[in-house]
Amino acid sequence: MIIDRRRLLVGSASLGAATLLAAPPVLGQAKPRVVVIGGGPGGATAAKYIAKDSKGAIEVTLVEPAKQFVTCFHSNLYLGGFRDLASITHSYDKLAANYGVKLNHQTARAIDRDKKEVVLEDGSRLPYDRLVVSPGIDLKYDSVPGWGREHEETMPHAWKAGPQTALLRKRLEAVPDGGLVVMIAPPNPYRCPPGPYERISMMAHVLKSAGKTKAKIVVIDAKETFSKQALFQEGWNKHYPGMVEWMGPKIHEGLKSVDPRTNTVVTGFETFKDAALVNVIPAQTAGRIALDSGLANQTGFCPILPENMKSASDPNIYVLGDATIAGDMPKSGFSANSQAKVAAMAIRGELTDARVFPARYANTCWSLLAPDDTVKIGGSYEAKDGRIAAVETFVSKTGETAELRKETQAENMGWYAGIIADVFT
Amino acid sequence: MFVFIHRAVLASILAGGLAATPALAQTSKGDRELGQYLSSECVTCHQLSGKQSEGVPAIVGWPEDQFVAVMRAYKNRERENAVMRTIAGRLSQSDIEALAAYFGSLPKPAAP
Repeated sequence: MIIDRRRLLVGSASLGAATLLAAPPVLGQAKPRVVVIGGGPGGATAAKYIAKDSKGAIEVTLVEPAKQFVTCFHSNLYLGGFRDLASITHSYDKLAANYGVKLNHQTARAIDRDKKEVVLEDGSRLPYDRLVVSPGIDLKYDSVPGWGREHEETMPHAWKAGPQTALLRKRLEAVPDGGLVVMIAPPNPYRCPPGPYERISMMAHVLKSAGKTKAKIVVIDAKETFSKQALFQEGWNKHYPGMVEWMGPKIHEGLKSVDPRTNTVVTGFETFKDAALVNVIPAQTAGRIALDSGLANQTGFCPILPENMKSASDPNIYVLGDATIAGDMPKSGFSANSQAKVAAMAIRGELTDARVFPARYANTCWSLLAPDDTVKIGGSYEAKDGRIAAVETFVSKTGETAELRKETQAENMGWYAGIIADVFT
Repeated sequence: MFVFIHRAVLASILAGGLAATPALAQTSKGDRELGQYLSSECVTCHQLSGKQSEGVPAIVGWPEDQFVAVMRAYKNRERENAVMRTIAGRLSQSDIEALAAYFGSLPKPAAP
């Protein structure tokens, strides 16, 4: 007890007068501790909002091995030449400086759910009262026959932003006129439903801008339909006629194998040889630590309580973002950010006497088809009948005016600046 | 003004151990604390600093009645923009007033 009091006093003194006013509800007890695993838009947002809104009453530690985060959102704009890599790379420093979030740049090796501790790569342990698990996705390296982790340099996935994204751009720039690009598009559920198709648009834009209009992009999709399909196909026909050929399973009759040595893709219907670039986007699961900790079910993703994002299998753990089964919400950075705010409020309600309001979720995904031609899809969501259900949704329409599409792109850019300010500053 | 009341409320919590902060709601027509929670949805796009960025306008420091009028126009589908119509669609009048109170209480950024 004496130690607990000392911890409280030391912690409060270092945070100044404002913190002394906002004293924790249970005086004499150590500060409640929250550990957040994963510094993407889910985890970083949760860490920030818990620390910011508890005004120092909750100790928040963010466990994330990377010192900087490269956003998957807008990494397609980097691929298309609309952004540089630095503009989608962000530091965690302000979360520490502005809100007192403790940064621990290690990999979380395991979760000891019985002891309520996170085991780090150096063997040390971080105790928690509540844990936020926001690990994003892991790639299923065994889901595409012939392709594995050892082939990600020759056939890049670029589905986790960073060096892979830079590699994909370099490889795209080397595609000759008349060259063949093959994309293997993933089965549901996966990170960023419109992402592969925005990427196709950006690939076509890069090729067209370089005068390589005889190059061709073939898409071998695991799905019969995809997000914003009519909008993308209209955009491809308008901006890149003859350059994009999309095939669902009924057309390609199944992906049989890829051969990274010869850049060959074999489907039930056709064999594509000597591709200049093969972009393999494999099937996905929740991040490893969620699987290892028993937070996922047989689908490979984590069931959550729709009213607050708490794990369905552990009352001390919240799971956010791409790793979750979030009902009607897509796996997106916007969704993860939205879910994180609901979880942060619920956690503050549990650990302090903060007011808790009914969960409200939202998402919008913008996709760039060509310069100043952007479409969007989104919705608002709430907990209903045991799941997160859409309240209202919207999607851009085919045939919209160029003026509206340009406005939508300006909104897209403004959103990026906004969410980065929200997550990282 | 707000800082003064805020401190007073906190002082009363420390003195009396009250859990709720009812006095906050009296600073404006809207429930500022509810507004702060609801605002977390807005600040995914609209920056809390009041900085405008490309197609996303600044929304801090507006007169409350103006904020309410604009949001009601989105809710009633009198203003365009699918994102704003969807966000406003599920906000009640008291939600909108709470947001107006919260964003209205924030300082506008200095002119660049």
